[in-house]
Amino acid sequence: MELGSNVNENNFKSIRARGGLNIGLNARTSEKLAFALLTLSAMTTAGFVVIILAYIIYNGYSAISIEFLTEMPRMRMTQGGIYPAIVGTVYLIIGSMAAALPTGIMAAVYLNEYAGENRTTWLIEMAISNLAGTPSVVFGLFGLALFVKYFGFGSSLLASCLTLSLLIIPVIIRSTQEALIAVPNEYRESSLALGISKWQTIRHVVLPAAIPGIVTGTILSIGRVAGETAPILLTGAAYFLPRLPDSIYSGFMALPYHLFVLATSGTNITQTRPLQYGTALVLLMIVLGLNLIAVLIRRHYRQKLKI
Amino acid sequence: MTEAIQNVSHPQIEVENLNLWYGEKQALDNISMRIPKNSVTALIGPSGCGKSTFIRCLNRMNDLVKNCRIEGKVSIEGNNLYGKGVDVVDLRKHVGMVFQKANPFPMSIYDNIAYGPRLHGVSKKDMDGVVESALRSAAIWNEISDRLESSALALSGGQQQRLCIARTLAVKPEIILFDEPCSALDPISTSKIEELIVNLKNKYTIVIVTHNMQQAARISDYTAFFLMGRLIEFGKTKQVFQNPREKSTEDYITGRFG
Repeated sequence: MELGSNVNENNFKSIRARGGLNIGLNARTSEKLAFALLTLSAMTTAGFVVIILAYIIYNGYSAISIEFLTEMPRMRMTQGGIYPAIVGTVYLIIGSMAAALPTGIMAAVYLNEYAGENRTTWLIEMAISNLAGTPSVVFGLFGLALFVKYFGFGSSLLASCLTLSLLIIPVIIRSTQEALIAVPNEYRESSLALGISKWQTIRHVVLPAAIPGIVTGTILSIGRVAGETAPILLTGAAYFLPRLPDSIYSGFMALPYHLFVLATSGTNITQTRPLQYGTALVLLMIVLGLNLIAVLIRRHYRQKLKI
Repeated sequence: MTEAIQNVSHPQIEVENLNLWYGEKQALDNISMRIPKNSVTALIGPSGCGKSTFIRCLNRMNDLVKNCRIEGKVSIEGNNLYGKGVDVVDLRKHVGMVFQKANPFPMSIYDNIAYGPRLHGVSKKDMDGVVESALRSAAIWNEISDRLESSALALSGGQQQRLCIARTLAVKPEIILFDEPCSALDPISTSKIEELIVNLKNKYTIVIVTHNMQQAARISDYTAFFLMGRLIEFGKTKQVFQNPREKSTEDYITGRFG
């Protein structure tokens, strides 16, 4: 009796073990495979960032000096610094953000909180999607036609800022919309139920809760503005201008275009190699620095909202 | 309709022939009822019977729902809410609402309470008093008076719900609507809120949607039974529970369906 039952149980166990093992192996193998692939993809992406950074830092750090950061380019750009290009890029970021942030946020609030589901809304949404997919050189040509020529701003900081703001408005609208959608509807309802108007609800509850998401969109746009070359090339960036812009109607130098000039059409491409890497390094540092500030702002607001 | 409705001589809320559609679907079918002042009225019925839809007609929260169409009359102190030129924002100052899920804003406890009064123009120097009295009325002051500046989201579920009640009281409404306020709370928090609601009826008129029939029996003066968008029975709670007029009310109360 006892023996028999033992045998039976063992049989049953081994059958179960075999079946279980089979399934387990399959599931485990595919799990491992998927995990490896996913990790590889993530690592590859991070790896490229590290390689690019390391390469530029390695080649560029020797060019970095106080003079490089604070002086005008000299000797047909083969010596001296990149000060006007740094200032130009910073102006571009400030100017285009000043134009695009309010417009983009207000447009997103309209679309998300006010607009009904109708043909007009659909058309606006379609236009934004298409705007986001338009090549930047087209924006450059458009800016040239509208701001430089038609409005008569000339080849200027103003024209470039406005052109760049058109480029990033779709990014800001989209990320603001995402952030607004993520705000729980209960906040809106309970505010309205207190006899608070819709606009006050948006202003005092919805927008503050959406700030972290809006800042994320801003981070993306800052990188875009700092790095774009085609739109500013057509609307205001100067090949060589050894002074700072003195008004919004002046031309200006900017880091990405300066880099392009040094690397492709400069007076002595080989001699300026260190300057090119140095310029790239400064551009990267400005973008990373601004991103860092934006991340800190985002974290500050997230923590404030949570506990 | 039933006697109790006619017996209410000075109703604060008077609903006449209220019909409501969500698109093609009729959610409320010819509802008429008179809700007396300074009382607790419980709305009971199975899920989807229209009780939440009904309570949301009393402060026009259904305005926010797309494709929602309303016919009929809801009057408060004789003024039709659905008449011309009604200021919905102003209406909601007078008819507060507490929701099923406790939903404090992501702000400090103090700012949660001060939010409404601040935007309604209460000055900074009066604000401390308004906040304290609202928190006291909602029976939560003693638990949190030492940490008014900490986040409201750190409170327990029951405390959050009482905070939401305090937030509503701070705006000084005359009527408070409760939409299943205890459905996500434990029994102890629930009993605290029930006690609070009974105390609040001295100053406010209260309408509460509840899934919990014991709760309706414990705290309400009047009970309305809804079924499939219709008001089946409305009367004094005692009468509805002990001697229901309608067969379906009895079936629901005794747990035969729902």
